[in-house]
Amino acid sequence: MSYENFRVFVQGLAEAGWLPPSMAYGFVVSALLAGLIIGPVLGGLGTLVVVKRFAFFSEAVGHAALTGVAIGILLGEPYTGPYGSLFGYCLLFGILLNFLRNRTGLTPDTLIGVFLSVSLALGGSLLLLLSGRVNIHILENVLFGSVLTVNGQDLVVLAVVAALVAVLALPLYNRMMLASFNAQLATVRGVRVKLLDYLFVALVTVVTVASVKVIGAILVGALLVIPAASARLLSRSLRGFFWLSVAFATLSTLAGILLPIELALPVPSGAAIILFAGTLFALAAIARGTVPALKGQVS
Amino acid sequence: MTAGGPRIRFDGVGLTLGRTEILRDVRLSVEAGSVHALVGPNGGGKSSLVKALLGQMPHRGRLAIDWPGAPGTVGYVPQSLEFDRGLPMSVEDFMRATTQRRPAFLRRPREGMADIDAALDRVGMADKRLRRMGALSGGERQRVLLAQSLIPNPALLVLDEPMAALDEAGFAVFEHLLRDWRRDGVTVLWVEHDLEAVGRLADRVSGLNRSVLFDGAPREVLAPERLLALFSARPRTAAQENREPADAAALEAAVSAPARPPDGGAHPPLGRMSRSDRRVVQ
Repeated sequence: MSYENFRVFVQGLAEAGWLPPSMAYGFVVSALLAGLIIGPVLGGLGTLVVVKRFAFFSEAVGHAALTGVAIGILLGEPYTGPYGSLFGYCLLFGILLNFLRNRTGLTPDTLIGVFLSVSLALGGSLLLLLSGRVNIHILENVLFGSVLTVNGQDLVVLAVVAALVAVLALPLYNRMMLASFNAQLATVRGVRVKLLDYLFVALVTVVTVASVKVIGAILVGALLVIPAASARLLSRSLRGFFWLSVAFATLSTLAGILLPIELALPVPSGAAIILFAGTLFALAAIARGTVPALKGQVS
Repeated sequence: MTAGGPRIRFDGVGLTLGRTEILRDVRLSVEAGSVHALVGPNGGGKSSLVKALLGQMPHRGRLAIDWPGAPGTVGYVPQSLEFDRGLPMSVEDFMRATTQRRPAFLRRPREGMADIDAALDRVGMADKRLRRMGALSGGERQRVLLAQSLIPNPALLVLDEPMAALDEAGFAVFEHLLRDWRRDGVTVLWVEHDLEAVGRLADRVSGLNRSVLFDGAPREVLAPERLLALFSARPRTAAQENREPADAAALEAAVSAPARPPDGGAHPPLGRMSRSDRRVVQ
């Protein structure tokens, strides 16, 4: 069954009353499918982002996507999906940052601060140049995400990226974690620490870029951090940490897409996703502070 | 049982980082199946020598590991781990993440857990397998680090101050492990600050402060004047030592250790370095 047939089938179910009425719209089905793909990937990879303390990096890559979009439009790519420039610029951003971290000895937060501001300055300058060529309001979609613009090509990009992350990150999950605990121990155990660092940076970058359409450049980094941070508050083992993070990210993505439509709220999807994830985090923090079994986590 | 550990030869090993000479003409032989301790002051080059041995530091000179047959497993016990103390990672999670490929967040595998169970049992941590790593005491975490080095069975073990945070029960565990390794012919290179433990448990000891200042059986080489030279800011040459015999009082100050009572009872061990002299253990 092709994707179009599948979408029509789901729309038919909604029209027949088997699914929520909003799913009778094709774009909602596409957006939910996108959410079902990126939610688990962002939630799972987010656990490594938290363990390896890469939260600020994932935020910076998201912001770099804005400049990537501007470069893409300048180079003549379609403004609905300038993936060549997006992936190219953001990968260059992440890999160069990691290279300089290894070479200069500067702390990651300092380097990210430099890269982030320079990249935003470049993006801002390019956007001014663009203002005469395209409707600048389309950038709101890039900044905060829009479910209206998710098309078949976006879903293919998301599916390929999700498969890539699953194939590479799952077998290397333990090794990536061990490398952050003690690089020397990891090396003795056959882990190629620097190579894995680059791979991790590349994976975070491609996942971030692929999610920009739904969540938006400003907020995409947050979905790599907030669900994992909430899960960290509530879990007592890696198993709980990982699966709770996946569940929170998926739930937030689906709720952030569906709730504004169901409740007729004029809120962009990215903002709604992060607000929902933030609410879960607040509840997790309250639970951690009040539920005796979670307080202090003494076992 | 292992096939037996290798012999290690450092032949004129040198290392200079920037303008700082870390190691100079280090000549040392670690015999196969021996427990060889490496002592010396902080910044004396012990960690750099270990890194060079583990292939993680470019160096001058020759460094050879002569295996009796096919190369065996190298185990390593680091001094500390860098991780978020609030991370929901149990002892068992850590052991799985360190020793297995299967992602540690998946359900316990039916096979492959026997090694982890046995290793945790050997270090007396089997009953704390579900405890968070961040909730362990420094000594307990050190025991978990010892446990991971047992999987797979090592033929060469490099220990970086494994006793630094151990409590009395941990000492006993470590001594037991050393006996097992010696029995199995495992070569152990042991970086240690606790001179009393080295004197009691090592087969051979080398003093390193940029270069090897002494090397021999602990009873022979752990003499006060040699230790004074080793732990001095500017290591003396043999010629200088002959001209100016070491001052025993200065040695006491250098190693800041109470004298061992004649009965050899329980007390802070002779020669253990003062707390401020140790590297911070996380």
